[in-house]
Amino acid sequence: MSEIVQSEPFVMNIGPQHPSTHGVFRVKATVDGEQVVDAEMVIGYLHRSMEKLAEERTYTQNIPFTDRTDYLSSMSNNLGYCLAVEKLAGIDVPPRGQAIRVIMAELQRLASHCMGAGAFANDTGAWQTPIMWFMREREKILDIFELTSGARLTCNYMRIGGVAFEIPEDFEEQVRALIGPMRETIADGEGLLSGNEIFLVRARNVAVIPPELAINASLSGPMLRGSGIAWDIRKADPYCGYEQYDFEIPIGYQGDAYDRFIVRLEEMRQSLRIIEQALDGLPGGPHSTEVPLSLRPPAGEAYARIESPRGELGYYLVSDEGPSPYRFHIRPPSLINLSVLKEMTVGGSIADAIVALGSIDIVVGEIDR
Amino acid sequence: MSLATDHWYDFRDLSNLSRVILEGIDKVAPYELAYIVAPIIGFVAAFVIFVLPSQLYVGVYGERRIIGRIQARRGPNRVGPFGLLQPVADAIKLLQKEALTPKVADKALMWAAPVFFVAPCVLLFAVIPFGPRMVFADVPAGLIFFIGVSGLPVLAAFIAGWSSNNKYSLFGAMRIVAMSVSYEVPLVLMLLCVVVFTNSMSLPAIVEFQRETDLWLIFMQPLAFVVYFIAVSAELNRTPTDIAEAESEIVAGYLTEYSGMRWGLFYGMDIGYALAAAAFASTIFLGGWSMWGLEQWVPPWLIFIAKTHLFYLVFIWTRGTLPRLRVDQLMGFAWKFLLPLAVVNLFLVSLERLWWLEAGLGDGMVFAFAGINIVFSAVAIFLWARFLGYRPESIPTRPRLVQKAGGYVPVEDPPGGGK
Amino acid sequence: MTRWWSGEELAAEAERLVPGSVSKISATACIFKAENLVQVLSALRDNPATNFAHLSNLCGVDQWDRFEVVYHLQSLEMNQIACAKVEVQDREEPSVPSVVSIWQGAWIQESETYDLFGIRFEGHPNLQRILLWDGYPGYPLRKDFLSMPGGLQPGLNEFAGTSAKPEPPVRPVE
Repeated sequence: MSEIVQSEPFVMNIGPQHPSTHGVFRVKATVDGEQVVDAEMVIGYLHRSMEKLAEERTYTQNIPFTDRTDYLSSMSNNLGYCLAVEKLAGIDVPPRGQAIRVIMAELQRLASHCMGAGAFANDTGAWQTPIMWFMREREKILDIFELTSGARLTCNYMRIGGVAFEIPEDFEEQVRALIGPMRETIADGEGLLSGNEIFLVRARNVAVIPPELAINASLSGPMLRGSGIAWDIRKADPYCGYEQYDFEIPIGYQGDAYDRFIVRLEEMRQSLRIIEQALDGLPGGPHSTEVPLSLRPPAGEAYARIESPRGELGYYLVSDEGPSPYRFHIRPPSLINLSVLKEMTVGGSIADAIVALGSIDIVVGEIDR
Repeated sequence: MSLATDHWYDFRDLSNLSRVILEGIDKVAPYELAYIVAPIIGFVAAFVIFVLPSQLYVGVYGERRIIGRIQARRGPNRVGPFGLLQPVADAIKLLQKEALTPKVADKALMWAAPVFFVAPCVLLFAVIPFGPRMVFADVPAGLIFFIGVSGLPVLAAFIAGWSSNNKYSLFGAMRIVAMSVSYEVPLVLMLLCVVVFTNSMSLPAIVEFQRETDLWLIFMQPLAFVVYFIAVSAELNRTPTDIAEAESEIVAGYLTEYSGMRWGLFYGMDIGYALAAAAFASTIFLGGWSMWGLEQWVPPWLIFIAKTHLFYLVFIWTRGTLPRLRVDQLMGFAWKFLLPLAVVNLFLVSLERLWWLEAGLGDGMVFAFAGINIVFSAVAIFLWARFLGYRPESIPTRPRLVQKAGGYVPVEDPPGGGK
Repeated sequence: MTRWWSGEELAAEAERLVPGSVSKISATACIFKAENLVQVLSALRDNPATNFAHLSNLCGVDQWDRFEVVYHLQSLEMNQIACAKVEVQDREEPSVPSVVSIWQGAWIQESETYDLFGIRFEGHPNLQRILLWDGYPGYPLRKDFLSMPGGLQPGLNEFAGTSAKPEPPVRPVE
């Protein structure tokens, strides 16, 4: 067709203000009719230079920064940073603190995937319904966070050596009350979308990432698992005692947008399993070890990574025995998953580009930091 | 017809009012005056009893409440009792808002587009029979009139998109034109099936046909109904096919640069067109104002409005649940799937009609035809979908689960081979 | 559990693959020479014993007298991770070979490192600032970058001087 009808490509800005860019993110798409012939991303609208700011603050003072990178999964970010500092300073966390961390991280994964799966459904055009269903469940999780840490989004709950406070008395009851409705909502969302023909033609074979490319482009999280690569840091390099819990890694078939969506839904089910096991075996004892306020870890470097909802979230810290990190680097999964945006979008239509972007599940706070 | 409304003072059926007025005029004034007065009465009656309340309360309020219910939220419930004054509040807010015009826009066309969009909507209701004798312009080819006029708003939408001088608007405009061109074809072919079967193009005559045979055309022409629903929802930009205003892709399509009451006109008339399409569908397929004798006891126009709103409810329902198709898939669906089915159906209906006429069979034959057509529709849809490669059972909807982390896990049973 | 390679292990393996590629060895990392960095890293990726097919992390560190670029190499199949580094002494025109030819996804992390450290990656297909705008004065993550005008130091002044490193020289923002 394109050989017969010649048309002039033009640049269309998708973003920074656009319903489907999930924040201030911009794709400079060169389009030829409906077809995307080139896509270039423009980021940095939300850049706050956290890595520089963190060099001026103490190790504990940096925890709120990590809340604000990936604001949809602040608990996971707290956890990744605390693990890195603990690795650097050689601090052990008591078993109760670890179990609470696991519960919080998995609740956060549920909340984040609720948003991710719902927003993806919104991008395919399922007008608001799945996202509202998922948001209803997400609100309950945020209520639990508020109950525990006092904040809904930027929880600032993890501390170096454990967690900030003991969990409230009715915490377990509330979390258990959430599991059943959450399972129902996942099944509802699956029933509404997974077998829907329109959803299938929109998401199947769209934005395909072959496994070789997925590994070579350093992808992580559901992007990597969607391509059929069994990689989950909770299994591969267990932290916080994840080796005690029985769960499975969901992997996709061919690495398209649909695979990433079903992988997210299945991960939510696995998270619920982990939460149930962690609640059943919640150990007693202290929730945190005593850590001096102005912690001065020995000189050296540490790289700790966790499986955040978006992928491999790494914190690389360099210490010079000072009270603040000499170098504080975040390995942002959203940013690195975006590196294949061009491969995913070029050649497809504008609608496919939106679906591809939605299937990455980006958070712009984490991309720009 | 032995309806209860044979006395001039019996206004249980509103059509009696217009008939009495018209006949009164006929006696005292030249005959031509009736042609002037009738449309005025028609317009007022249609607008007051049907379009305005429907648009405000079914289209705006009802739709938002129902979608809210689907989406696990409340919907409007603040303004007035149960939020019933919400449409009024919306209208007042829109009137207060500034209607922005971009500097680079074509100002005259951008101003004119909403007007072009509104006018055909009012015309559409002229040929719809709200009840017996209650059609305001009994055009012998009312069906053709309806199809023709309902094609006009596409032009207005294109003008709106083009004059906005915005790339998103341009995309929306091009998409709506392409989609309209594609979907008019199966739509008209399917309505042709109806015309062939009922042997009339006049909408009151089609209703009369359904009333006399005691069977609605949805049973006699199920495939035509399905195709009409899909095609009309595509033309109206309702959600499974709302690519011209695809919110997640091109922001708001041809409406991107519109604001204030100019946008409000587009929004309100979108609902108006959807209601007109629903009214048309209930006339053609759902028996119009007839309801197997119930019209003797209930004002027929109430039956008609109930059917129309029921049809509109299906629009709301699909809007609340279905994702959106891509533009090429939507065109492909029209040309590859609907068009062949429409042609085959037209052929079958013509054969049936011919046989009916040649053999001189009675009205009871329609039940046999209904059975044949229902079976044919189901089989044709299924077979044609299989032929085009539709294999829903072969697509795995659950991911694979592995216990151990490692590298790539090859797919032993690739998608298409079943799981 | 993931096997974390120590610097010695990685250096031994790299010396076996590309002799003379290792410059220094620390406890956690192996520091390679810049001139055959691409060669040794691609050998480490393709060698079945190392199989570092996944570049987990890439970042720069300003050590006052030198810049370090840190690579965390990961093998998904073997479940192991190692840390490689390369040093560059030149502060004015720091330049390191790009590893985009080995790991495609490195381009975005290298662009970010260039943006914030000013380290040029030779061979990068499209090296430009991605977070900050073109023409932004200086490179913020360098230790001698002053974030506030007039030579004011931000942050916790009471902790200043505890660092073993020299105090940053006052240099006006260009």
